[in-house]
Amino acid sequence: MRSYPLLIIGGGLSGLAAGIRVARFGLKVLILEKHSKAGGLNSYYYRNGRLLETGLHAITNYAPPEDRHAPLNRLLRQLKIPRRALKLQEQEISEILFPDRTSLCFSNDFDLLQKQVKKRFPHSTRQFARLVAEIDAYDPFTPRPKISARTFVSSFLQDSLLVEMLLCPIMFYGSSDEDDMDLSQFVILFRSIFQEGLFRPTGTIKGLLDLLLQQYRNFGGEIEFSSGVREILADGNTISGVRTDTDEKITCKHLVSTAGLPETRKLFTTLGSAAKFSKLTENDSSGRLSFFESICLFGKSVRQRFPQKRTIIFYNLQESFSYRRPEEAVDINSGVICFPGNFQGNPKQDFVQMRVTHLANYEIWRNIYNEENKTLYAAEKKLWAKRSREVLGKIIGNCDENIVYEDSFTPVTIERFTSRAKGAVYGSPYKVKDGRTHFENLYIAGTDQGYLGIVGALLSGVTMVNQHILNKI
Amino acid sequence: MTIDDIKNVILEIIRDIDDEADLDNLNPSEALRDQLDLDSMDFLDIVMELRKRYQIQIPEADYPQLATLESCVNYLIPRLKAA
Repeated sequence: MRSYPLLIIGGGLSGLAAGIRVARFGLKVLILEKHSKAGGLNSYYYRNGRLLETGLHAITNYAPPEDRHAPLNRLLRQLKIPRRALKLQEQEISEILFPDRTSLCFSNDFDLLQKQVKKRFPHSTRQFARLVAEIDAYDPFTPRPKISARTFVSSFLQDSLLVEMLLCPIMFYGSSDEDDMDLSQFVILFRSIFQEGLFRPTGTIKGLLDLLLQQYRNFGGEIEFSSGVREILADGNTISGVRTDTDEKITCKHLVSTAGLPETRKLFTTLGSAAKFSKLTENDSSGRLSFFESICLFGKSVRQRFPQKRTIIFYNLQESFSYRRPEEAVDINSGVICFPGNFQGNPKQDFVQMRVTHLANYEIWRNIYNEENKTLYAAEKKLWAKRSREVLGKIIGNCDENIVYEDSFTPVTIERFTSRAKGAVYGSPYKVKDGRTHFENLYIAGTDQGYLGIVGALLSGVTMVNQHILNKI
Repeated sequence: MTIDDIKNVILEIIRDIDDEADLDNLNPSEALRDQLDLDSMDFLDIVMELRKRYQIQIPEADYPQLATLESCVNYLIPRLKAA
């Protein structure tokens, strides 16, 4: 029987980061990844010989190299990855656009957003400054009960349009709650998106994943793909190991699960151990928010027509911004439009890529999806992609011409490839911030630990191992 | 190991964690964290690296004894005698 000091469920960003930390100090560690590729929610696939990314729009938490204590730089030191290996490209300018009302631009210089607020919301300038001062003073890493971010922001800003506009990108990039979010998470994301900023590595997410995998393997870490865990084996208050999909029993001293809260609970096959892990059933703790995303490649002639120098546009057409599971399959009244080519220093490609993300209803897509006959599902995907392009036409100009390639994914796609229950990209609304469980040697890392985004996921893996494992193994 | 050997080991570990660390102007009796702008995560790496290289376990309660280069050396002398 194989035995490891540390087993990790999931080869996404948090699992890889946790693995690198432990392997770096010469300890034996095995990652079990269900999918055939690494990355989890931030991965890639090939269509027509072209690599397409899933997840990654932009990475938050941009920081200059000299800011040693910035999350990005601390993280890279912890993973022993030299910053130059990533060849970071900063965003151009992003925009929060509420058509026919107003827009706010922001970049990696926080000053731009402050000036924009001053220009568009002159009466709110001082209120906004007070909000920022309060955010600066807030420690989001101290565990505390959930506080409503919406109530907090509204207590500073009288103009509800400004409240909605600030919440829009922050919710889209990380809220697992409908129409609100936890204040700590809001503060983390406000800093990561507005005060630090957006970037991406040169190349694709595959480059970043390969770098992490190489680092992990160089340190002696082991990873097995297409290796799902069927069962977590509990013995009283302790986890003794796991049983894999191929019925192999692997024992361990410590187990880190990055699968998510409801997903991990499902791996306890006795009622007693499942209840001990969490009183919330899988249904109660699953997130309700999922997304529909279209990837479109256009011929390069559209470049002149599309917004220049825009990296990401967060738009909303409704009176108030609705961030909840829609009644229909897809909510095209709001969305995130990303141009992965519009980062500084990116060489012009022979096509223009656009990715559009909307809130989507998991249940509806689940009901349409039929493993044996995908005709209806495929037709529905096409229909919503078309509707999405029609709405976009009004916002950024005609998106129907010159399409070279188009593909869409739905909440069902997310669930199938990431095992994330109900395709809930940002996981459960219940977070386990300290990573501890009722089992003394089982820890939660990743999305349901509560750090957000790519830098957040990696930091989650690092922090959980630093706090709970390195001093014990 | 001599005192100088131990000192060099510590400096080498720090350089490995941060290749831009300014080690030439280090005051041996002043806190490493303040001089080198290290945070608690970096500090943990020094402890883990010592463990990996010399199999010495440093309990968390002893971390304050590693605050300066001088105190590090004093703490490690008896533990690295045979190394």
